[in-house]
Amino acid sequence: MTPVTGVRAAPARTRALLAWGACMLLALWVIARSQFSADLSAFLPASPAAQQRVLIEQLQGGALSRTLLVGIEGGDASRRAKASKALAAAMRESAQFDQVQNGDESQWAGAAQWLFEHRYALSPDVSAAHFQEDGLREALADTLSALGTPAGGWIKPLLERDPTGETLRIAQSLLPASAPRSQEGVWVSRNSPRALLLATTKAPGGDIDAQARALQAVRDAFATLGGVQGASPLSLQLSGPGSFAVQSRASIEREVHQLAIAGTVVMGVLLFAAFASLRALGAAVVPVVTGIVGGIAAVSLVFGGQVHGITLGFGSTLIGEAVDYAIYYLIQARAPAGSGSGWRRWRDENWPTVRLGLLTSLCGFAALAFSGFPGLAQLGVFSMAGLCAAAASTRWVLPAIAPDGASGAGLRGHLARIAAFAMKVLPRLKWAAWALGAAGVVLLAQQGATLWRADLASLSPVPPAAQALDAELRADLGASDARTLVVATGADLDQALQSAEAAAGRLDALVEQGVLSGYDSPARVLPSRQAQDARRAALPPPDVLRVALVRAARGGPLRAERLEPFIAEVAAARQQPPITHAELAGTALGAVADAMLLQRRGGGWSALLPLQAAGGQGVDAQRVAQALQGVAGVEVVDIKRELDALYASYLHEALWQTGAGALAVLVLLALYLRSAARLAAVVVPLALAVLLTLAGLAALDVPLGILHLVGLLLVMAVGSNYTLFFDQLRRDGHAGDDTLASLLLANLTTVASFGLIALSGIPALSAIGRVVAPGALLAMLLAVVFSGRAHAAGKARDPA
Amino acid sequence: MKTTDPRSAGPARLAALRRGLAAVVLAACAMPAFALDLPQLMGLLSQNRSGEATFTELRFVHGLDQPLESTGTLSFAAPDKFTRKTLSPRAESMSIDGNTLTLSRGSRSRSLALDAAPEMIGIVEAVRGTLTGNSQTLQRYFSSSVAGTPDKWTLELTPLDDRLARALRRVTLGGRQGELRSVEMLFPGGDHSLMTIEPKSLQRAPAPGAASSSP
Repeated sequence: MTPVTGVRAAPARTRALLAWGACMLLALWVIARSQFSADLSAFLPASPAAQQRVLIEQLQGGALSRTLLVGIEGGDASRRAKASKALAAAMRESAQFDQVQNGDESQWAGAAQWLFEHRYALSPDVSAAHFQEDGLREALADTLSALGTPAGGWIKPLLERDPTGETLRIAQSLLPASAPRSQEGVWVSRNSPRALLLATTKAPGGDIDAQARALQAVRDAFATLGGVQGASPLSLQLSGPGSFAVQSRASIEREVHQLAIAGTVVMGVLLFAAFASLRALGAAVVPVVTGIVGGIAAVSLVFGGQVHGITLGFGSTLIGEAVDYAIYYLIQARAPAGSGSGWRRWRDENWPTVRLGLLTSLCGFAALAFSGFPGLAQLGVFSMAGLCAAAASTRWVLPAIAPDGASGAGLRGHLARIAAFAMKVLPRLKWAAWALGAAGVVLLAQQGATLWRADLASLSPVPPAAQALDAELRADLGASDARTLVVATGADLDQALQSAEAAAGRLDALVEQGVLSGYDSPARVLPSRQAQDARRAALPPPDVLRVALVRAARGGPLRAERLEPFIAEVAAARQQPPITHAELAGTALGAVADAMLLQRRGGGWSALLPLQAAGGQGVDAQRVAQALQGVAGVEVVDIKRELDALYASYLHEALWQTGAGALAVLVLLALYLRSAARLAAVVVPLALAVLLTLAGLAALDVPLGILHLVGLLLVMAVGSNYTLFFDQLRRDGHAGDDTLASLLLANLTTVASFGLIALSGIPALSAIGRVVAPGALLAMLLAVVFSGRAHAAGKARDPA
Repeated sequence: MKTTDPRSAGPARLAALRRGLAAVVLAACAMPAFALDLPQLMGLLSQNRSGEATFTELRFVHGLDQPLESTGTLSFAAPDKFTRKTLSPRAESMSIDGNTLTLSRGSRSRSLALDAAPEMIGIVEAVRGTLTGNSQTLQRYFSSSVAGTPDKWTLELTPLDDRLARALRRVTLGGRQGELRSVEMLFPGGDHSLMTIEPKSLQRAPAPGAASSSP
């Protein structure tokens, strides 16, 4: 963008350009320092309730968010098994994962010994009664009942040291009820030829860069395995929240790029056709770029450097509106070349209208900026800052670059003719507009509240195929229910574990009732200090134990004299130091516990207790919540219900905010126009455009969501420019061909750019596009219909 | 069982006659020794639809002063349900439904997927597969040998897989016609168990169903 022609460029112009350049550099610097995220956090409330905070922590850093599901397909069973073992080994070595499980039992060899040595601190059966005569008799009978059966081979070697079966009890509690099928020593799918691995990344699920690195590490390791090439090559499948986040970010980035390129091309072609001048084209880009850069920078500043990917995607929607400003200017400021006065006329005659349109748009979006939905708040801030930047650059930078507007005529003559024809014909169709409006009202009244029935899932950019694969892998792995969270929290780790133990007591009852088939808890390998102390205190001294044992074994097949090693080991356990978190660090069991533990950002710890549903159905969250009622420090979160409720509250809030925004727009216009008739002429076409757009979507049975609402706000923002334009027209009493052409061109570019967005694969973006593209067109048509100047267009000719 | 019964072979067609003749010869060869092979035994057993029985089990464990005795009931329903209820010395039960193994004692019960531990399936199939005459399953996990006559047969199963062999060295099943009367298990290390079974009821499939299932 070179400065204006002529050697005597006014200092004011230079100043404007310099100021603009400085602002842009500053904004770009801010953007460069921003972090772009694409995780769920865009949808999580900024000031959550306690239960929501637990949910957010788990979604961003908890075990569920760090789960990586891996499938290996192709080849035959033994090749897949070999690949599974090699891949698991490579993943364990990569240091990207807390744990990697593939059904290979060899990695548990050390763990079994450790569990055996700490059995009296770990076994939930240990109590004072357990070591008295009756308890011992019962426990001995349990153990004897397994002897002489196929399980006897495991129990018999431990008989003299552990006759009460604590090791077996611990092993049973750690063995998941819904383990995957095992074949050739590794986990395989029950339904398809596929080997399975389950890993927990070290990095939190919210750290997408780290998640991407972990995924890449798996892909790299897999690529170096044998059997990736050949006749029936092995293939790798990856899924899980981290994988989704990485995929989403990539698809948003890709879409934004594609939309930006496609938008630029379409816009360029339209503008070039209209102006037949590269210079004009360059000038038109200024407000667009300024708006987008300014918008992103503002979001980054307001939201502490965090910019959601969805906001970035929204940037492409701003092109449509910002380019309108440029078009109005370039056409309306036209003056004989070299006179340098065109921009002054524009400033005096047209800028006030543009400014009013801008203020109207700001009113609409200001409501969103205060939304509790961070994604929506960012959209609000982005739009306001972006539109301000675009308008400001139109007002001060374009006069410096193109003081006399655009010179070329291009195909605008045709546009003007079309516009003139429309101005003649359309106003006769007022009755049709009213009729359509009435039909729309009836249709909307019929649908009522069911209109707004889209849920959060409808915003997910994860393609259905990826979601299906995830469900398949989860079913294969018998992975824990990902919908219901039981989270125990505490001021320190020990308190969190105590809460987890209290919850476990209630969950055990649910397992007995068959509501759950099982659950996990970090307290199984790392009991709270309190629980360990209680168990140790329950262990009787050797002579007391001996007396009880003799009585318990009397008349039975196992003589007490044989059990001296047991008495000695109980005595040793009485002196054993407690198990600590530090002691577990770096062991296989430590990884199991750590996967369920989370150090909270604000201090304290939380322990996740994953639930396994009974009978292939989902977990009955309500019964779990009932069972756990009153247990201190334990929250039950039904993720889907919680997120749906969250979304519903956002939608509710957004509906109110939009209503308030619309009212503010009305007040603003009333204050400015100071005439009921003028106000009606400006507002009626706008309201009808919004109404008909809504009715059209309802007629097509589109489930409407929060982003459709944002789209309607945009329709209002764009449409107010049109109706205000006609208001000005009515007062000035003349409408030049070019002026009408500029309006039509602006509308064309808007509809084209939002039409492109409507085709996006990202639901959040396409929702906006599908509302604004038809809405903007309707707003334009209705503005003409209600222009009330059927005669003016034909008569008055702009002398310029 | 048309092919083994010459009277039902249609005389009208030559092919049928030849098949009938072959069956007579086969029957003639088999009859004198009263011997039985695996397909025949499985043919007998595969007609079993469901049944109930009581059992007494003695387990001989080295290092214990006396054998462990338990009694209870067994029930099964083709194709894949099997329950063992121990009534004495203590009430407990083990039931298998398809791929799910459920162990219960008192109020405590836990379920496991059988195929998550392949050696467990082998042990289950030794009994379940025999009760329902599923030769394919048996042969997947064991090498088998059959001895005796239809009225007094024994089926000896030896694990094929090393992991299974570490839990179970041999299973010997005995019976009379389609009824299972005893299960003897021998474990590594020499412990063994003997279960004697007293059938209470047995539902068998009607003849046509049986004919279609025996090749």
